[in-house]
Amino acid sequence: MKKILAILLAAVMLLGAASAFAEAQDLPRNETVYFGGQQWGSVVGCNPLSSDNNNAMAIAANPRGSRTIMFETLYMYNMLDGKLYPLLADGDYTWNEDMTECTVKIKSAAAWSDYTPVTAKDVAATWNVSKAITNNTYTSYAAYIEDVVAVDDATVVIKCVKTADGKPANPLQVLQFLSGVYICQEAWLNAVCERNNNDPQAIMADKGEDVVYSGPYGSYFANDQLVAFVRNEDYWGQDASMWGKLPVPKYIGHGIYADNDAALLAFKAGDIDCNQQFIANVQNLWLEDKLPISTYMTEAPYGLCATMPTAWYNMETPALQVKEIRKAIAMAVDYDNIIANAMTNQSPSFADVPRSLMNPTDGEQAMYDHDAVKDLQWVGNDIEGAKALLDAAGIVDTDGDGWRELNGEKISLNACCPNGWTDWQAAMQIVSEAGKNIGLDIETYYPEWSVYQTVFTKASQTEYDIFMYSPPGAQPASPWARVRAFMSSDFLGADNNWNGNWGHWSNERADEIIAAIPLTSDPEELKALYTEATKLYLDEVPSFSLMYRPEQFHAVNESVWTGYPVAGDGNNIPPANLTDGYGIAALYYLRNVD
Amino acid sequence: MSKGTKKYFKKKIIWFLITLVVAVLLNFFLPRLMRGPGTPMRFDPDIINAVNEKYGYSRGVGVTEQEGKTYIDADQWNVYYEQEGKALGKYKDRNDVSIIALVNKNISSEAMKTDEGLRAWCASYDAIEKDLGRDGGMLGELWHFIEHIFDGTFGKSTSTTRYPNTVASIISEGIVWTICLQIPAILLGWILGNVLGAVAAYKRKFWDKAVMPASLFISAIPAFGSAVILLVIFGVNLKWFPVNRAYDTGMIPAFTWKFISNVLWHYQLPFWSIVLIAIGGQAVGMRSMSIYELNADYVKYSRFLGIKDGKIVRYVFRNAMLPQVTGLAMSIGTSIGGALVAETIFSYPGLGMKMYTAISENDYNTVSGTALIITIMVLIAAFLLDIIYAFIDPRVKAAQFD
Repeated sequence: MKKILAILLAAVMLLGAASAFAEAQDLPRNETVYFGGQQWGSVVGCNPLSSDNNNAMAIAANPRGSRTIMFETLYMYNMLDGKLYPLLADGDYTWNEDMTECTVKIKSAAAWSDYTPVTAKDVAATWNVSKAITNNTYTSYAAYIEDVVAVDDATVVIKCVKTADGKPANPLQVLQFLSGVYICQEAWLNAVCERNNNDPQAIMADKGEDVVYSGPYGSYFANDQLVAFVRNEDYWGQDASMWGKLPVPKYIGHGIYADNDAALLAFKAGDIDCNQQFIANVQNLWLEDKLPISTYMTEAPYGLCATMPTAWYNMETPALQVKEIRKAIAMAVDYDNIIANAMTNQSPSFADVPRSLMNPTDGEQAMYDHDAVKDLQWVGNDIEGAKALLDAAGIVDTDGDGWRELNGEKISLNACCPNGWTDWQAAMQIVSEAGKNIGLDIETYYPEWSVYQTVFTKASQTEYDIFMYSPPGAQPASPWARVRAFMSSDFLGADNNWNGNWGHWSNERADEIIAAIPLTSDPEELKALYTEATKLYLDEVPSFSLMYRPEQFHAVNESVWTGYPVAGDGNNIPPANLTDGYGIAALYYLRNVD
Repeated sequence: MSKGTKKYFKKKIIWFLITLVVAVLLNFFLPRLMRGPGTPMRFDPDIINAVNEKYGYSRGVGVTEQEGKTYIDADQWNVYYEQEGKALGKYKDRNDVSIIALVNKNISSEAMKTDEGLRAWCASYDAIEKDLGRDGGMLGELWHFIEHIFDGTFGKSTSTTRYPNTVASIISEGIVWTICLQIPAILLGWILGNVLGAVAAYKRKFWDKAVMPASLFISAIPAFGSAVILLVIFGVNLKWFPVNRAYDTGMIPAFTWKFISNVLWHYQLPFWSIVLIAIGGQAVGMRSMSIYELNADYVKYSRFLGIKDGKIVRYVFRNAMLPQVTGLAMSIGTSIGGALVAETIFSYPGLGMKMYTAISENDYNTVSGTALIITIMVLIAAFLLDIIYAFIDPRVKAAQFD
């Protein structure tokens, strides 16, 4: 036994030695907000020029609300009211007469972690370096932004790409730039380029350990179990022109868990404060388990739904080129059943929020004329209506086998989504049943995601007839971005298409509307365009949404912290995990539970 | 060292090396057999423009006739693309699924409409392909793999969450945990199992009737079974020990008693789940060996001579142990396999967990790298046991002189 003890002791010593003598101290629980569901696997680096950092808490650039705890954007998007709030920018952005140039002022208080001021030159340098290395920032906006120019230290002008007739390519995409792109320090950018000899791949592979940042938190610790950030006590945002104080938690932590189940266990145990995970029947956590857990809304749907997982019709399938068949299937589907099973009621029903091109947020719902499209909206589970529609179109069962035929051939379709995406699989199962109820043979088919993603993004495919994917949710360019994803023929012929219109539907009028919206600023005119697009969409049914779903899930455990954003609290802070877009304002309202 | 012993070592070393080479090759090829090519990405703007110029298409690739607009059929377009690409000497199948996923992260699909964006996509693909050593076919990749075994990096991970980190960096995160968990657990299980088996053989009665069936039963439980049982009883129901991870979230590794005691606390469930399995298998073998030895002539003779029981037991134990050492060498592979399963059940951050994640992410380089390290560890352990055996078993020594 002595030997064993010796071995055990040696093992412990080895462990201690290998983990080195870390200078960082353990995170005090009541000064740390723990997040969940964002970071999987250990951090690679901290270089905002690259998308290969796997550093979810620090680097998550997205127009719908970039995560700004470490790096900051010019503006913060708030999906509650669809507005942009200045962060590094000072006041509102302004457009010139023909909307070809957007001017942004920089806050005089804004400063980097090395105490130098944030200037317009930093914004221009961010664009120029991104262009030189053709990273995601540049390739996302190259079709819309010609150049970013520093006029003086405090003024930056974003110049739009112009079409042949001198109009801006798309001013809405410029707004996405304002809320989506992290601004980097020019001096740091120069240093990175220099040490990597201006080689694009090397610059993107740089770990950015010396990165200069402007946000309220900096890197504290990272291994394969934990990533942590510590507050910068000199953060410029405590200036009266911004927040007027420091964010409340001194540390931000994110435990790295093996899988969803492990993370959920930790959330229930109070090891995670704010969790971005889909939790089936989330209400049971407080109703049955009596845990101090809550969501943004106390009643169903519990969260703020901003996106709509959708079933797309493949226009290369002959039967689906027939409008009546498309519409009949969509009418027959039992959406309440989908919402109850796949989403455990964490989605408003289509009776509560009638279907359109808009997500359920108030801002978007106000953008079309509800009465004008009333006759076209269906709530689902209308078997008789669907049958009548098919009968009227002459799509009937001619050979008496119980299945309807089109031009003498039995209509056989598949309904696909990735294997293992259980909520989507439940939805596709219900679509298949709807088909059977109206005499259309629809079989479910669940390929692996690795295969699925290469097929549905193809320029042309005949493998999937009805298949699922989500259009964009809430972002500065929505609902236009969603209308485009649903109906634009811009994406026809593009392989590796992640933008939309995966069914390859096309309609000239829809394209005209999509081209007109970004250049329209008159609200009435805009509403008319959106209403017309909605009419066209509901009439033609190139795809149909199956449920509403939050852009991000947001459940909180109030064992340690409280003061989280709640619907109707009057603070206008979106449930964006206390970190994304204007959601970061929530960090200034938190307080410890007594 | 005698000539015979040298010969014995030489033979063992040669076998060790042969096994190692086979293991390296298997570790390389087996995961890669699972890898199928994806859809080729036909994005070279020069070729696209050449096709469009020659056949008069705009960039509407591969869509059939619709709404009065004519697009060309995708298959036909692909034929043209290949033709023109070959004429330009630029045709290339860009169809590696993991590389495509890595490129898509850095090149937005918004860019797919412009020549500049398409060119950037292709350039990025080619750069990553070269970085991963996949630009020279399977043999080129094997060479790349071997080259990076020798520089100690094992190549780069192809996971979208890990690239461009090296496989070595992933292994170094996990290896200490695996070694600290498995070596003590397997050894302790082996020793306890042998003592238990010997005692059962000698004492009979209660030990043999109750303890042996119990350990026989335990040894029949697969590794994940014992881990789950311990997890449910002591972790979930009794809440005596934490159910996952190596230490509490929020702790930062340091050489302090607070941290070490936390590690030891988290250590209990995975540790004992491995020990339990090891005990069962060893005890059964040791018991039958001991019973055989107890009936041997030398034991009877010793009894006639009136030698004390304790001394006889020691003789018996020593002789019965010898095959058990071989048994340990042979079972170390399966033991480690079982222990890796325990790691995944307790989310213990060792190599088993790393391999499990890598498999779910189709990260073949990391699967090969971690599997290779585990194989090498098993081979070294087996090799060392072989060497030790030569010293402790006089019969082996004697055999060498023939």
